[in-house]
Amino acid sequence: MKKLHKLIIAISVGVGTSVTSCQKLDIPPTNIFTPNIIYDSEAGVKSFLATIYTNLPIEDFKYRPDQGFKTGGNDWENFYNSASVTGEEVGPFGGMDIGGGFGYWPYGDIRNVNTLIAELPKHTAALTQNTVNALLGEAHFLRAYYYFGLAKRYGGVPIIKEPQDPAAPLSELQVHRDKEEATWDFIGAELDLGYQMMPETSDAGRANKYAAAALKSRVMLYAACIAKYGSTNFVDGPARAQGLVGIPGSKANTYFQAAYDAAKLLDGHYSLYNANSDKVQNYVDLFLKPSPENIFIKQYSIANHTAHSWDDTMSPRYFTANALSRSYPTLDLVQLWGNLSVTNDDGTPKRFNSRAEIMQGLEPRLLATIYFPGAMLRGLMFDMQRGIYPSFSGTAAAEVAKQPNSRSYILAGDTKTLYQGKQVIGFTGPWTGGDELTRTGFYVRKYVDYNKPQASVDLNRSEQPWIDLRYGEILLNRAEAAVELGNNGDALTSINLLRSRAGATPYGSIDLDKVRKERRMELAFENQYYWDLKRWRIADVVLDRAHFKGLMPYYVLNENKYIFLAEPELFNREYTFQKQFYYEPIPGGEIGKNPNLLPNNPNY
Amino acid sequence: MKNLIGRILVGIAILASSACTKTDNYDGPNASLQGNILSSEGGNLLTSGGSTTIKLQQIGWTTPQTIPSKFDGTYEDSKLFKGGYKIVPTGGAFWPVTDTVTVNIDKGTKHDFTVTPYIVIKNFTHTLTGTTLTLTFDIDAPIIAGLPTIKDVQPYVNTTKLVGTGASIRDFSDLNAKTINKAFIDMSAAEKSITLTVPNLIPGRTFFVRVGVRLSDSFNSSNFSEIVQVDIPKS
Repeated sequence: MKKLHKLIIAISVGVGTSVTSCQKLDIPPTNIFTPNIIYDSEAGVKSFLATIYTNLPIEDFKYRPDQGFKTGGNDWENFYNSASVTGEEVGPFGGMDIGGGFGYWPYGDIRNVNTLIAELPKHTAALTQNTVNALLGEAHFLRAYYYFGLAKRYGGVPIIKEPQDPAAPLSELQVHRDKEEATWDFIGAELDLGYQMMPETSDAGRANKYAAAALKSRVMLYAACIAKYGSTNFVDGPARAQGLVGIPGSKANTYFQAAYDAAKLLDGHYSLYNANSDKVQNYVDLFLKPSPENIFIKQYSIANHTAHSWDDTMSPRYFTANALSRSYPTLDLVQLWGNLSVTNDDGTPKRFNSRAEIMQGLEPRLLATIYFPGAMLRGLMFDMQRGIYPSFSGTAAAEVAKQPNSRSYILAGDTKTLYQGKQVIGFTGPWTGGDELTRTGFYVRKYVDYNKPQASVDLNRSEQPWIDLRYGEILLNRAEAAVELGNNGDALTSINLLRSRAGATPYGSIDLDKVRKERRMELAFENQYYWDLKRWRIADVVLDRAHFKGLMPYYVLNENKYIFLAEPELFNREYTFQKQFYYEPIPGGEIGKNPNLLPNNPNY
Repeated sequence: MKNLIGRILVGIAILASSACTKTDNYDGPNASLQGNILSSEGGNLLTSGGSTTIKLQQIGWTTPQTIPSKFDGTYEDSKLFKGGYKIVPTGGAFWPVTDTVTVNIDKGTKHDFTVTPYIVIKNFTHTLTGTTLTLTFDIDAPIIAGLPTIKDVQPYVNTTKLVGTGASIRDFSDLNAKTINKAFIDMSAAEKSITLTVPNLIPGRTFFVRVGVRLSDSFNSSNFSEIVQVDIPKS
């Protein structure tokens, strides 16, 4: 009996295993997305693209140059921007704190793009050839964008075009850096592919062929300037000797021409925003309303927790529901538009009946870029006042040169203090008690949404898009390239288009200095000037123990008038750009993983 | 309860006996390197904060480390790991040293470097008139061809003996700088004989003063004079 039982068990186990098992174990895993799910539908590819777009190194409101592209956490501190070390603003940085970068190394994102480029051609049946081509064009644009983020920081980097196989031998995975020239050429070629393959129009937030051309004008201008100016002002070292940083000066004109040609491709397809005949309002709205000037934008959403905090952090608490400001435009920036008329011929300060009189006769673009004393926002006035003079005699220069303790002004530590019934300092500063009120007498106006009710101006509650590429910049790129190539006529036309939109007097002639100055004025606070200083290789000259100035409004009690004195910004900080900062160091962690990235950039 | 305590004790005993079975028998960083940065024109190269450093790269490692020089042109680091290092002085106002030396660093290792300064400051004098300090000196260059342009000259004034770039009182120092922006070769003999003044020093205080010549090399580095002590009499 026992034997029979054992036999039955043995047979049933034998039959059972051979019949039921291992028939269909080789099924696609149900808990991960397989390539087919992603690439066989446009929706699938779009969801993959969303990740790639999100991580794109767009230097927007939230970009913090010493920490990176921020999401969540402390992404509200929008005042940590590059403007506050370059003298456009003074802000929270104690000095040139951003020269070493933050170790940007986006090869994970580049791998995503590489995977997309490798996979897409296998799915023409499901997606159609046209869709695949358009998507491939977009992928080349995106790859170029990532490599641009690397090239402008490090010079030459490893160009990886295919997804690496993790199982490959270490010698294949530990790639070497390519030359700087090769890196820029690769980016240019990628953008050419993007231009050829992408359609003319796109959803907001995605690139079309003109975005590729626009980015190319920016990129090639950068490369051209490194070739031209980097070959005279450079730091020597093994990386330079090997061409990993630096481009021969003879290549400059080729790149300037490429920048010019790329910018020209946008002719007739985009135009400057000119919807409002009020020039100030028009320039304000350009950054807040949909416009024919926007080529490539980044969008934000409260619902998706991606909203930024520009409105809440550019204006002081007086105008908002929460938080603080720490970004203050300098008098040095304002004076690009010419000296303000605050002193009489004999050197005594001009007397003003109201603070707002300072704005009379100023260029509309300047007024739309910066909030001056006396300007209005949300029904409240920018009442900047540094203090009170019971009486004032003598010249402005003599007064400012005095030691603080021998000046006859009345200052205060807070906004509540009164002197003979008059408020001593304005609700909006300036003061030295902290840095949440202006230290220069100015506030940022560009991109500030004046329509938002005060109660809703809170952290992570701003949704106006960041305009990453706008036609205004392309005209400036074109003009700069044109002047460098000796085509001044074309440059003059582009610059005057911008100047008449800005409400400025058009120029009769043009030179490189005028083009660069126009660029600073038009693109103030748009995170361009830091890179401009770097590519022009003048950062170490402009920011050599540099101190910046503010314009301090005072109330003169016995005259019942206001005066304005140009003084050092109240923290009087110093900014020095070291020559080695023209290139950032290759991140130490990456060198640890891949010693072939050595030699590091000069002086690191 | 007793049972529980017993079990916990057993657990602790097991953990204790199984942990730390391998003691760290590697040597701590007990090697040292020290020496002088000598000027080819005689004496030590006088330096300042954020100026000359000795760059060390341990063979087999990728990240270099640095030893900052002291103001008198000496340097010392007594917490290094034993081993072979490539060392080179860098960051100061001297002709770049391209030959990296390899030294085997152990306890009490000494190494002197000799560098050629860009500019030598000679005949440095100081005279005090009231509260105004007048500083005169001549500049000379051991090698003229290819010398970086001279940016400016300036006094450095501080209340401690540590005086130089980044360690000076701005109102007495940076604000009394003289811009030059000229190549040494284009400077006349008169321009090479420089006078700097520091007005409005505070009576009754002691200051430490030196002068510096800044060049537009890779580091915007400066050559310095020796440091002198200046006592401002009480008025």
